[in-house]
Amino acid sequence: MTTPALALAGATRRNGFILEVALTMAVGETIAILGPNGAGKTTLLRLVAGLERLESGSLRLAGRTVDDGVSVAAPHRRPIGWVPQDRLVFDHLTVAANVGFSPRATPERTAALIDALDLTGLADRPVGECSGGQAQRVAVARALAADPAVLLLDEPSAALDVESRHLIHRALVADTKPATLLVTHDPVEAATLADRIVIIEDGRVTQEGTPVEIRVRPDTRYAASLAGLNFVDAHARGTMATTAAGTGVVLAEPAAGPVHVVIPPSAVALHTTRPEGSPRNVWQATVTELRPAFDRVRVALDGPLPLVAEVTPDAVDRLGLRPGRSVWAAVKATEVTAHAA
Amino acid sequence: MTAPRTVLAAAGLAFAFLALPVVGLLQRAPWTSLGELLGRPAVAEALMLSLLVSVLAAGVILVLGTPLAWVLARVDIPGRRLLRALVVLPMVLPPVVGGTALLFALGRRGLVGQWLDAWFGLILPFTTAGAVVAATFVALPFYVVAVEGALRLGDDHLEQMAGTLGARPLTVLRRITLPRLLPAIGAGLALAWARALGEFGATITFAGNLPGRTQTLPLATFLALETDPEAALALSLVMLAISLAVLVPLRDRWLPGR
Repeated sequence: MTTPALALAGATRRNGFILEVALTMAVGETIAILGPNGAGKTTLLRLVAGLERLESGSLRLAGRTVDDGVSVAAPHRRPIGWVPQDRLVFDHLTVAANVGFSPRATPERTAALIDALDLTGLADRPVGECSGGQAQRVAVARALAADPAVLLLDEPSAALDVESRHLIHRALVADTKPATLLVTHDPVEAATLADRIVIIEDGRVTQEGTPVEIRVRPDTRYAASLAGLNFVDAHARGTMATTAAGTGVVLAEPAAGPVHVVIPPSAVALHTTRPEGSPRNVWQATVTELRPAFDRVRVALDGPLPLVAEVTPDAVDRLGLRPGRSVWAAVKATEVTAHAA
Repeated sequence: MTAPRTVLAAAGLAFAFLALPVVGLLQRAPWTSLGELLGRPAVAEALMLSLLVSVLAAGVILVLGTPLAWVLARVDIPGRRLLRALVVLPMVLPPVVGGTALLFALGRRGLVGQWLDAWFGLILPFTTAGAVVAATFVALPFYVVAVEGALRLGDDHLEQMAGTLGARPLTVLRRITLPRLLPAIGAGLALAWARALGEFGATITFAGNLPGRTQTLPLATFLALETDPEAALALSLVMLAISLAVLVPLRDRWLPGR
């Protein structure tokens, strides 16, 4: 097996918060780190960058131990590139001087990245004159110019214009050499750029897998929420799963023991009267919130099972949906999946 | 907002109190003979000596004060609060006390002074070098406070960023910290230089009042007040002009807003 670009197993503590992560990245691999606010995503990046230190365990970058909880290599001795959330461009320097700042940056590499991120026209201008999107492109180019073995990106395209976002994504895809650790809130960005997704909640990895694996078998409510899925923990016996609140959900396939039940919101049909016929799962519920989502409307329901239904705007009018309205929610058993917890 | 009349009146009184001495000086100034007065050898000598002493002091302050400000702002040393207090002490210490302290530390029999004399034959009291030492002692805190304040105002995130790009700490200092600190360095230096130029108490105590060697502008002014009030006024005008010249470019830093 070749040397991993990053091998981390350890814990760090910061103001009482503990981050404990084991993570290995192959050369050229891109991992997206997803998680709620305050889960420890940024702390993880700062740990790899050398701005936080391990309390126990070890961190190896490109085969070299840079932190073993005792001796710690300073950031400038680590083969990394860091794009922090707040960009941190050197606004007393020009765009070109920013991109070529690293002692590891060659003039050729610097020029190529200025070109790739469409900064050529700005090269001799002070970064202070750049727009937010341009400054973020400078930050990405600067990190890539440092020829990192591990690239650390903290929400690189949050709140960016479409053009900058596209340029940054293209540059990241084009440079296949570094292993990339991408912190993001955006599941679409994660699915586009990452080979693997790691979900961190409350300082721990709660799930990791390919984007498809996580969409099909989410292990936590947060993981399910990335794809907008309904998620509930239940105990299965045959084709009947019972939630902690005592609500029964009929499953398509029999299962046994603790399970995660997943219901796509598009599978939740809403009716003003109790539906007749085929659906096995029918609950009476109250509409709590309506939220537009592209060409659909997401309807939050409070009932025996907290659910979100996705319906057309047309259905909202036809059923007279509004907060406080009482409706019947029906889900076919064939749409309900359950996997072992 | 309309101010209560009593407040307005008190504020006006305070302003008049500050402005009146300047008006008094300008009103009595020997405008017509100014050129002749400043051209006198003794006056010109004091002027040149003051420039020499204050510029040398500013140089020492720049070279030693910048690292001190950086350490106080960025390095986690035990007892940092106490160190800060000691550094600004000369700002509140009566200059005569400062001069006396310098005498006991760097005088010929002083704590360090005796070794300076024995080892290097270096004697500071009653020399121009001594005047530089006295000026440096009282002016250094003004520079350190200005630069340290600017350093502490900004965080060290840009320095961290530069570090992750592979820049060594000294490179970070040279390419990130210092260039961004230039305005504060300039302001602090101007302030410290002006303070050094006006230094009186510590100089006369530690370096004496020797014409051509330690008799700087303020000392010459004080002396001239007895014998030649016209010359004292002329010298005062020079120092007023210098003070204004320092204040004007710095007004945006000290007097922000409209």
